[in-house]
Amino acid sequence: MHSGSRFLRQASSRLLYGFGRSQLHLRPGFTLSILNSSMSNRQDEGLSAFARRMHASGTNLEQHTPNSIFSRIPGSEIPQHKIKHSAKVTVVGVGNVGMACAQTMLSAGLLNELALVDVLEDRLQGELLDLQHSAAFLPRVKIVADTDYGVSADSDICIVTAGARQREGESRIDLLDRNVNLFKKIIPELVRHSPDTILLIVSNPVDILAYVSWKLSGLPPNRVIGSGTNLDSSRLRSLLADKFEVSALNVHGYIIGEHGDNSVPLWSSLSVANVPVLNFHDKKGVQYNKETLEEFHKAVVKSAYEVIRLKGYTSWAIGFSVASIVKSLLRDQMHVHPVSVLANSFYGIDYDVFLSLPAQLGSAGVLGIANLPITEDEAQRLQNSAKILRGMLDKSKMQ
Amino acid sequence: MFTTIPGSDLPYHVKTSSKITVVGVGNVGMACAQTCVTEGLVDELALVDIQADKLRGEMLDLQHAAAFLPRVNIMADSDYAVSEGSDICIVTAGARQREGESRLSLLGRNLSLFKSIIPQLVRYSPDTILLIVSNPVDILTYLSWKISGFPPNRVIGTGTNLDSSRLRFLIADKFDVNAHNVHGYMVGEHGDSSVPLWSTLTIANMPVLSICDKDGVKYSRESLQELHKMVVGGAYEVIKLKGYTSWAIGYSTASLVKSLLRDQRRIHPVSVLAKGFYGIDKDVYLSLPSQLGRAGVLGVASVQMIEEERRKLHESSETIWDIQNQLQI
Repeated sequence: MHSGSRFLRQASSRLLYGFGRSQLHLRPGFTLSILNSSMSNRQDEGLSAFARRMHASGTNLEQHTPNSIFSRIPGSEIPQHKIKHSAKVTVVGVGNVGMACAQTMLSAGLLNELALVDVLEDRLQGELLDLQHSAAFLPRVKIVADTDYGVSADSDICIVTAGARQREGESRIDLLDRNVNLFKKIIPELVRHSPDTILLIVSNPVDILAYVSWKLSGLPPNRVIGSGTNLDSSRLRSLLADKFEVSALNVHGYIIGEHGDNSVPLWSSLSVANVPVLNFHDKKGVQYNKETLEEFHKAVVKSAYEVIRLKGYTSWAIGFSVASIVKSLLRDQMHVHPVSVLANSFYGIDYDVFLSLPAQLGSAGVLGIANLPITEDEAQRLQNSAKILRGMLDKSKMQ
Repeated sequence: MFTTIPGSDLPYHVKTSSKITVVGVGNVGMACAQTCVTEGLVDELALVDIQADKLRGEMLDLQHAAAFLPRVNIMADSDYAVSEGSDICIVTAGARQREGESRLSLLGRNLSLFKSIIPQLVRYSPDTILLIVSNPVDILTYLSWKISGFPPNRVIGTGTNLDSSRLRFLIADKFDVNAHNVHGYMVGEHGDSSVPLWSTLTIANMPVLSICDKDGVKYSRESLQELHKMVVGGAYEVIKLKGYTSWAIGYSTASLVKSLLRDQRRIHPVSVLAKGFYGIDKDVYLSLPSQLGRAGVLGVASVQMIEEERRKLHESSETIWDIQNQLQI
């Protein structure tokens, strides 16, 4: 069901400046009526403890009007009142990525409790001790570790970094089957010990594994997130920040879709200090059109492969990226991140697949997806991205 | 309360922007670099190493984090020119302890390496502060001081800063308080002969020997020795389990960098030129409670030591002195 023409006109006038005659493609959305009926039926069924915490008067979901900034992911279970939490995070996998995530979260003072889980006992114990030895330099945190998932009980967030890592030259998709079997062991254990948790998947291919985690966990989609293109977008912003000699904080834009070779940069909504970049002419007469901007996108896609080639793996950047997501979740920041979410019903995608969209994050997980207008071309690329990912899922051991 | 180290050269004015160089991009070097960057301590970071690919990879990985950090200029090169104008040069390069290997046995392997590193750092940053992390830290800091020709306030070793913190954590755990409420120092060698100063260790300003822990256990000097053993053994244990230590030393180094760059005038037990203090008459570096600020080591605190602690400190200095003599440093 399409939104009214009033929104279309408003959106067009907002974006016509500097863009020429771009075609706008709107997000066909589920309306609140569909959500309402499914939610009111649910109240009579066995609800999870999480869902039972919803307001007694029922489904006070925000009105989904055509002009709303955010739209709920269908199937979300978002309580009305403040969720109390203890700021406990579990990290599964104490390799370079897992430890970078753990250490960065500690440095940022985000946690009251950190649990580490892995199969390699010695490595796990060593990393635990090394972090505990840092205690005097950090706010008081309880740090625990075990091969037994019991140690992860009652986690607000479970971060999964476990799995085979990309070998040099290997694409993220090639990793897939090696990791699906591993997740069949990990995810049910996490959910068993923390039924109210939010799963944050980092292992690659992240979009596929986030989908796999969602299926294996039975959690509502607002509580399963993949780290997605959060880092890609940040890399893009940094590259452009360097080019324009501004702070990366003043570069606004998203890369969405697959975290990988088929990611989709949204040039149509990219701006520097709120000045649209697309078709911008700089002082030297350089025009930033889709072709010149594509060089930046290519650099972003290549960059992880380059770091892996040079030092064997990536760690620091993904650590910071994950910590920024965790902060938004734990501290209920309502901050928008491009992360891997259940994309069914957005931008013309009408089947189950996880890929990155600009998602508002808070303590209930994914509060909603930004109704960001994108061009026909961008929507096409996104749908291709989705098709490829769905194709992988169909071929994999996960249905 | 504080006594300046003889030979110190303490300037009056300091500049404001901050650059640090980290030599060696192994696990320790990168933990130091990443923690300093995370804590917003630096405007510029230079990485130096001989392994070109690893160096470039680490530089890129940190640069990719740019959007999550305050703006920092991160650069890397095997040429020391990249380190020019550094306020602090952190040296983590060198062979690391193998499982079961003592820090002193690393020494021979690291001597010649430092003879090539230190002059280069001095050449490009004649006003810098050298902060040595590589082990055995006390002897390598002494060596760095000799090679650099710097006044002693500008050559510091990370020393027992981490050991003291480990000790404070263990005690905090036993007494169920925050580690920040445990005040005490380990001095002497960063290693097997380090000296815990029990007589001045306090918890919430109460001497540790006079109070009970959360299980009602009153501590004697003997039972406290168990804690000391755990601290000394702590690093060996981590090395045995994960192959190296990184996170803790990273935080420890960053805390020193903060006190130096931000002129915090804070006391840290770090490796300094100890001759003339507590009756030490040898030219050695070992850890003493030292006040750190922008000009480096502003002075050494006059912490009261009982006879036994003094004696152990002297033994520590003798151990270091013997080895320095054997290797003809």
